[in-house]
Amino acid sequence: MSIEVKGLLLGLVTALGLLGVTFGLSPLFQPNKTTDANREQQANAASVASTDVLQGDAKRGYGLFDQSCAPCHGDDARGDEGPSLYNLAKSDARITTIIKGGVKGEMPSFAKKFNDADVQALIAYLRTLKD
Amino acid sequence: MENSLWIKMHGGTTHFPIALVMASALFDLVGLIIPENLEKSRRAGFRAAGFYSLILGAMGSIGAVLSGLVISRWQLWGRGNLAHHHTFLWPAFGLLTGLAVWRLVVGNHASNRAFRIYLGIALITAALMGAAGYWGGELLLKG
Repeated sequence: MSIEVKGLLLGLVTALGLLGVTFGLSPLFQPNKTTDANREQQANAASVASTDVLQGDAKRGYGLFDQSCAPCHGDDARGDEGPSLYNLAKSDARITTIIKGGVKGEMPSFAKKFNDADVQALIAYLRTLKD
Repeated sequence: MENSLWIKMHGGTTHFPIALVMASALFDLVGLIIPENLEKSRRAGFRAAGFYSLILGAMGSIGAVLSGLVISRWQLWGRGNLAHHHTFLWPAFGLLTGLAVWRLVVGNHASNRAFRIYLGIALITAALMGAAGYWGGELLLKG
């Protein structure tokens, strides 16, 4: 066996091993895995029902939320890395400022990603989030 | 540790492997283009620079991946821009590890043909890392 083939085999084994360790161990470090799974299941069931009744801006806002906000605020908007967005007691202007300006060290600015119509759609969706 | 510190750490550590892998591929490419008979020592110099850049890049990538996993709460895929980031990141990370090990094992004993194949894969890896970095930037700056 040439040294090149040996190198190839060792390289493959190491790369797959490292990826295997990463993919194998990561789920163990994910916080509250069981709780999150249950919550996601409930959220999915709820969102199937709730997104059915969403219309117009709120429906479009849900799409934007799902793509850009859910990774931090949770699929169900009840908070994950970022806070829950249910029962927001903030004005539309304040929400717009936060979305466009971000929160230093906590939330990025979405000014380049969302135009005014997008922000309005997001706010319309957020206003549907009530317990 | 506060999450914003991990974000800064990820931003800091992740640029080293991206730059080093790109530099490594560039050094090796130049080393391959230089005529061997005329510039033997210079060619060896470029190969050595390519080698050390790659090894340092591969070592640095472990820190970058670790800090990235912490800030994404150990999500391996995610959604939106995070999913785009990971789509390019995981193949790049695997390829980079494999290339570094291959290079460590083979040293200077690679045939010209094998080295050309290696270089092709290294260029693909550099492009994948660049794409992962782009989506990482989109994720941190635009969400």
